[in-house]
Amino acid sequence: MSGRLALNGFVALVVAFVVLPIIAIVPAAFSAQSYIRLPPETWSLRWWDAFFRDASWRQTLLTSLQVATLTTLVSVVFGTAAAMGIARCTARGQAILTGLFLGPVVTPAIVLAVALYSVARATGLVSTVTGLVAAHTMLALPFVVLNVGVSLSALDRRLPMAAEGLGADDFHVFRTVTLPLILPGVIGGAVFAFVTSFDEVVLSIFLAGPTVKTLPVRIWEEIRVEYTPVVAVGATVMLALALVAAATSRRAGRRNRA
Amino acid sequence: MNPAGGRLGTVALLVPAALIAVLVFVVPLARLLGISFSAPAGPFDAYTHVLGDDIYRQVFGNTLLVAFAVTTIALLIAFPVAFALTRLRGGWRTLVFACVLLPLWISVLVRTFSWMLVLERNGPVNRLLVSSGLVDAPLSLLFNHAGVLIGMVHVLLPYSVLPIYAALVRVDPSLLRASEGLGATAVTTFLRVLLPLSSRGVATAATFTFLLSLGFFVTPALLGGASSMTLSMLIDSFVSDRLDWPLAAAASVVLLAAALAIVAVASRFIRVSNLARVHR
Repeated sequence: MSGRLALNGFVALVVAFVVLPIIAIVPAAFSAQSYIRLPPETWSLRWWDAFFRDASWRQTLLTSLQVATLTTLVSVVFGTAAAMGIARCTARGQAILTGLFLGPVVTPAIVLAVALYSVARATGLVSTVTGLVAAHTMLALPFVVLNVGVSLSALDRRLPMAAEGLGADDFHVFRTVTLPLILPGVIGGAVFAFVTSFDEVVLSIFLAGPTVKTLPVRIWEEIRVEYTPVVAVGATVMLALALVAAATSRRAGRRNRA
Repeated sequence: MNPAGGRLGTVALLVPAALIAVLVFVVPLARLLGISFSAPAGPFDAYTHVLGDDIYRQVFGNTLLVAFAVTTIALLIAFPVAFALTRLRGGWRTLVFACVLLPLWISVLVRTFSWMLVLERNGPVNRLLVSSGLVDAPLSLLFNHAGVLIGMVHVLLPYSVLPIYAALVRVDPSLLRASEGLGATAVTTFLRVLLPLSSRGVATAATFTFLLSLGFFVTPALLGGASSMTLSMLIDSFVSDRLDWPLAAAASVVLLAAALAIVAVASRFIRVSNLARVHR
């Protein structure tokens, strides 16, 4: 009995260790001082005002949303197609393709960043939306391919075959039978892709530039030098978006099981 | 299964994603490999320096040390948490699970910045320690090994908990009761029943955590100091400060080779593709 109590106490401590430091960022954003002290001595919204009044902070947020939206569109379309293609391959083909698509997952981000930076410099893609979207799509694709793959393997193959037998063409079968059935996997993959792009720092530090800069890159630059609570506002915006994504994915996941 | 679409259809489905993987992943890595052999003093000059110079060797040693320490601490914390998760029911189970998984959704940058605020000299942790009388003066918890270890364990903990949990839920609880019933102590039951039955999960957790900590960049760069430089920080400084591309490329190739070696060895025992599933 005392063993169970000790175990539960330990779990409570770990939960506190995991959760509290993440939440700590929020009060910092509501400080009235020009420096960060936790908890703030006096409270205000002045740094939220400063964040949204400052055109450069606003621009980084817009760039982040733009890059994440484009990344989501490209990786969901390409990734869903790839997952359907992989499902049609032989076991050997599946192993090779899965290896190719999973490569970025096991490659350290700094290695990808330096490699992409060298190519982007040679092709003029540094500080462009295209460069960032290409890099983020490469990172997001494995998650879409895997998620849609899981939905596809649960799909009853007789359903698309029946539709075909009834005379529907390929596109019609996909739109009216396959897609609705794998939609939870596609939505799950889309949420992953969006968050992967929105949160990405390492590759973006190298690929962003003065004209095209995402929110995490701006935060990174600020906290490496000296920061005011306005950085905590930026971080809180990222935190809020992550929580919305987590909730969305949970709902999609529930539908996937249902 | 789709005679109308056939082979051509399959290829058409695969081409766009494969093109991204080749152009944005394979080609840049191949170029990096080329650059690593392009030092003016000779093709292997960059490797001789990266692997031979004492100062860089120290960085390699430190990187391995940090990765080992993070993996060990994470496993020691993760096992009891994973075990507790198999015992919890209903709302508590959902709550603890959510708390363990939630960090995976939140940017590493945000979590690391949070630790900077929590661990700073006048931060809440130090004030608590001083006011409780545990220490006389504030501890320096940032820009050294302590900060890096705390931050990295925090970020990588879910990668340790989930594989161990996946193994422990499959252990038949009646085996534990049998062990207890036969008079084994809790320690004996753990060592002779629970641990052997979950060894694959522990191995998976160790592999994922070690692999990810080896190449970690954001957390060591922000929480660590010059004395706790890791390989990823070194690569960054080769590119950003010294503009020495052959050295950066050679160090990157060494890091990638180490990661791939781990994956190759581990894939004999575990499914490495599960790493992508742990993400969120």
